[in-house]
Amino acid sequence: MIQLKDVSYVRLGSPDLESAESFATACLGLQIAERGKKDLYLRSDERAHTLCYSEGDPNDQTVGFEVEDEASLQEAASTLESLGHAVHAGSAPEAEQRKVTAFIGFRDPTGNHVELVVRPERSGRRYFASRDAGITGFSHIGLNSTDPARDERFWTQVCNARVSDRIGDIPLMRVNAIHHTIALVRAPKAGIQHINHQVETSDDVLRSYYFLNERRVPIVFGPGRHPTSGARFLYFKGPDGMIFEYSVGVDEIEDEATHRPRQFGFEPTSFCMWGSKPAGMALPNS
Amino acid sequence: MKNGRATPLITSVCYVRLAVSEPSASARFVSDIFGLQRVAGQDGEIAFRSDDRFRTVSLGQNSADGASVGIEVWDDRALEEIGRQLRELGFTAKEATTSECRCRYVQSALLTEDASGNRIDLVVRPTRSGRRYFPPRDAGIVEFHGVGIRTTDHLRDLSFWRALGAEVSDWVGDIAYLRIDGLHHRIALYPSKRNGLLYAAFEVEALDQIMQNSYFMQESQIRIVQGPGHEPASSQMFLHVEGPDGLIFSYVNGMAELDGKPRLARQFPLTASSLCDWGSESKDVPELSAQGR
Repeated sequence: MIQLKDVSYVRLGSPDLESAESFATACLGLQIAERGKKDLYLRSDERAHTLCYSEGDPNDQTVGFEVEDEASLQEAASTLESLGHAVHAGSAPEAEQRKVTAFIGFRDPTGNHVELVVRPERSGRRYFASRDAGITGFSHIGLNSTDPARDERFWTQVCNARVSDRIGDIPLMRVNAIHHTIALVRAPKAGIQHINHQVETSDDVLRSYYFLNERRVPIVFGPGRHPTSGARFLYFKGPDGMIFEYSVGVDEIEDEATHRPRQFGFEPTSFCMWGSKPAGMALPNS
Repeated sequence: MKNGRATPLITSVCYVRLAVSEPSASARFVSDIFGLQRVAGQDGEIAFRSDDRFRTVSLGQNSADGASVGIEVWDDRALEEIGRQLRELGFTAKEATTSECRCRYVQSALLTEDASGNRIDLVVRPTRSGRRYFPPRDAGIVEFHGVGIRTTDHLRDLSFWRALGAEVSDWVGDIAYLRIDGLHHRIALYPSKRNGLLYAAFEVEALDQIMQNSYFMQESQIRIVQGPGHEPASSQMFLHVEGPDGLIFSYVNGMAELDGKPRLARQFPLTASSLCDWGSESKDVPELSAQGR
């Protein structure tokens, strides 16, 4: 079984790095770690980077997960190959680009581009935000799925993900104590549906709501509260249509051995217990 | 707050009596929309509960003995003492008749007026209810929390409240947050061009209910005057909503508790971020806004 430790980074293609940078700093509030000719590295926590924009096609979207060591990486590669997934062994320059010592790339059953990485770099300097959004770190992603039941089997049986809760047939899955690291979203094609950053307090969620509204950033869902994880949230749209989320107060699963996934009905109140309705963003099942 | 006494002079804001043009329309707002429990009234008044008190809100047709704010006084001795002090300061303080006490559901009372002409009832032994509070909808209301009052003479009005034992916790411009118990404030005085009640605030369980009520109001097409917001001075979250006759009712939660040690009132500038540090603004109610009052 492939042991995922944590989500590590997201890589996004973008035709316009300048707009990506101005959104990431002036609106989202991340710190610029490094500005290359064709790459923009952004920090959100103690890691050297958690988001990277590369000049290119916005459909190129990759999520990286950390695994224990190189042996686990080799083991993962042979597991995936035996299941018929084409595995790309990362070259040294590619690994350098990702600030990791080694990695492999593959596609999940929906076709999402996933990378498994070893020893992603940390930064000696603490994270210093470009605006006071209260970000404490990159935390999870929403991942498109053309067949949630099939993909749930992939993430829970080939990998070590566990289902924390389900809304309809949509699983919220964890790879550590945090309620979810991967939220599957029913969609017609592969892609990252949203990128989550945790913030310090619910004050930060509300403050950002007014702040982003004033700057005409489209708020697509929230402010709201998920009854599943308990998190207070705000979803808004960034460059190339990518959706970003701030949230706070995601539950931890206290007892790994005895936790049973709860079933929520597929209805608006299962996504927001406060009563907000998505606008300009599809609910995961539609 | 105790003015050297062993017990405080006043202990709570215990009711608001409101004079409205159409009591039945206002009553629908207060119960069906805002979520207070309607109970039997008397003498044509419509009464509501919000907690274990017998009633905390009543609506009457516009009349001479119309609107007032009820302040609970410790006992009759404290009432006498306050009456003496207010008269010395030149305020009127009239002993309530039996029928005036009866329609206020209290045992004894002094009917007073601050310098702006706001009627303040100082009452002893307001009635409690044996039955628990049972609201018409799940708005999460815990209790009647306090009031915002408009003032046309904030210095004189402040001396009125100080005679009652209230102390200023903080200032935003000349807006004064007044403390009468362990909480940051129960009464706030807002400089204005006129007198009257600015808002009646009801505490809800948590942020969840502030937000749920905010979406409920949007869906019910009720005007949100300001919020969801957060007062930095008191760290209280709020949602001010408007009913008929421009009546403002508020949901609040999270007000700072003070430790009772002597404390200097802090001065905040009269800016939007002093009134709400989340970023909400009041467009149409000048007293709640940083501009133009």
